[in-house]
Amino acid sequence: MEYSIEFNNIVKRYRLGQSVTSIRDMVKNVGRRSEPEFHYAVNGVDFQLKRGESLGIIGPNGAGKTTTLKLLSGVTKPTSGVIKVNGRFSALIELGAGFHPDLTGRENVYLNGTILGMSRAEITERFDDILEFAGIGQFIDTPVKRYSSGMYARLGFSIAAHVDPDVLLVDEVLAVGDFAFRAKCYKRMDDLRAKGTSLIFVTHDMDAVRRVCDQGMVMYGGEAIFRGTSAEAVVAYSDVVRQAAKKASQEKDLSKVENGLAQRVMTFAADIQNVSMLNSQGELVTTHEPGDEATIVVEFDVNKDIKSPVFAFTIRRPDGTLVYDATTQWLDIETPSYKAGQAGRVEYKIKLNLIEGVYDIGVDMATYDLDSYIDRIERAMGFAIVNGSGAKGIADLQTTFNFPKPESEDTVKS
Amino acid sequence: MAHKDLLISWTSRIVKARYQQSVLGGLWAVVQPLALALIFTAVFTLVVRMDTGEIPYIVFSYSALVPWLLFEQSISSSVLSLVANMGLVSKIYFPREVLPIAEVGARLVDFVIAFVVLIGFMVFYGLPVFTLSWIYLPVILVTQLCLVLGIGFIGSALNVFFRDVSHVIVLILKIWMYATPIIYPVTLVQTQLENFGYGRFYGLYFLNPMSSIIESYRNVLLHNGGLNEFFGRSALVSVAVLVFGYWLFKRLEFKFADVV
Repeated sequence: MEYSIEFNNIVKRYRLGQSVTSIRDMVKNVGRRSEPEFHYAVNGVDFQLKRGESLGIIGPNGAGKTTTLKLLSGVTKPTSGVIKVNGRFSALIELGAGFHPDLTGRENVYLNGTILGMSRAEITERFDDILEFAGIGQFIDTPVKRYSSGMYARLGFSIAAHVDPDVLLVDEVLAVGDFAFRAKCYKRMDDLRAKGTSLIFVTHDMDAVRRVCDQGMVMYGGEAIFRGTSAEAVVAYSDVVRQAAKKASQEKDLSKVENGLAQRVMTFAADIQNVSMLNSQGELVTTHEPGDEATIVVEFDVNKDIKSPVFAFTIRRPDGTLVYDATTQWLDIETPSYKAGQAGRVEYKIKLNLIEGVYDIGVDMATYDLDSYIDRIERAMGFAIVNGSGAKGIADLQTTFNFPKPESEDTVKS
Repeated sequence: MAHKDLLISWTSRIVKARYQQSVLGGLWAVVQPLALALIFTAVFTLVVRMDTGEIPYIVFSYSALVPWLLFEQSISSSVLSLVANMGLVSKIYFPREVLPIAEVGARLVDFVIAFVVLIGFMVFYGLPVFTLSWIYLPVILVTQLCLVLGIGFIGSALNVFFRDVSHVIVLILKIWMYATPIIYPVTLVQTQLENFGYGRFYGLYFLNPMSSIIESYRNVLLHNGGLNEFFGRSALVSVAVLVFGYWLFKRLEFKFADVV
């Protein structure tokens, strides 16, 4: 089986501790023996890609995504395992790498292009295309220190996009650049894929992953904790990462649990055990269509007697934008009290009038006087809305269009 | 190989950037050895008499300073080249040796400019130029470049891991200049050694490969002579340093990106 990329059982570890950066340091440390500590940036990740396939790698900061790209592009070597990349590759780990501020855009195109592996002849041949894609016009002959960050990014991406590689590796570089530019880049990536280029894309942009990649992989703590289609990976992201963080915190101490994921600042009078989502038929489902009815189910174990806790849940976009926030206190809903030892359950029946996309559910319980949280999970699980009408935004207002016939020409108003 | 184009692009980047950033631009390549030569001339003709035979002191010293500055400056820049471009090295793959080689290449451009001025000097003082002995020039230059690249590879690779290597090398280079017959004629060394009864140690002086390289430059340029008697030894040393240096560089190459 001819693979385009093979990343077989890769481990990459770094030595922690006293870093020796000068001869003076080295002399100082002579005779001092210390136990070497290691940090496993990549720990047993294994995947293979065929020609034309595309893999999106998502994960929280520090998960090992950029290290994976660096291993693939040959910037660094694995501690163990074998990497094979067949054909010419282009790595976009930084746009405009090698650009010198005093040189003109034209000169920098040659510089960056040759760094990326093109020959000067190839660059000359493709120069007009590169120029057109970047859309910076006559500024090509001014020093790049005069460019805006957007122009810089456009030129940088344009050069890389024209390398015509067999394998394209892209790190989170499209954050700079407006919507139109990003759309252009995604289209370009599609074109390359159609030609048979394999693509690996590391990003935090969940929509981009679904748009550009057919496969997805979630990384956490150097390990690949989920592998599937890009849509599945994006939906499973928060859930799977939270589980991994929970597992990690059980093995070490709680202080290692990452912020913003399974943030728990609470009394623990009750423990949220499970958050799930059911469709109108009662089936466990995470993909819905706009307007569907669904039920969010939160199961919890009660440790101490609680009097009428306040229940709440939030729905957010992956970038944190709040979509909906409901608490029993705001909505004036009475809640039951619980005794220690009981297994409690709350169900939120909602109508998903949401635009196509990916969403995160957060749940929490607070004391009845809102003095403190009992338990809280900021990103308990994710779900996706598919088959939208094509409208954009957050709320799906279920628009129907109506064009009443105009009045007849006889009675023209003046 | 496409990376040959990278070398050309990178070298031209260094040269263009340097010239665009300074007021004097390309003139700096001439001003440096010239200024040094003038200072030394002032000292060694007015304050302390230095006998350089029929060759005027200024030509004597300038002809040695031009290749010496190539040596000193290309080593200094190439030793720092990896660390100076760490951002690039840690993000993109390309053969890292391009960086130190490009620094040497950029300094060669300066060398050529300064050399043209040397020819001007020689003409001014009525010395013959483009004599037959000048055929040896490429040989001497290539040998010197082997030595320079070898030291550059070793220094730049080590400097990634031990940041004070560059300081040590800069210091050594300064001292090295005085162990090489640049501002004084090598005959002075010979005479002094014999005066103290250490005549047989004359050969040791030429353990310094740059000594015979510089002397060869002078012989060939100014005296219509051939290579210095110890040149063969220097050539051997230079090539050995290059081979070892490149081997060491390639062995350490993949660790560069991990040190940041």
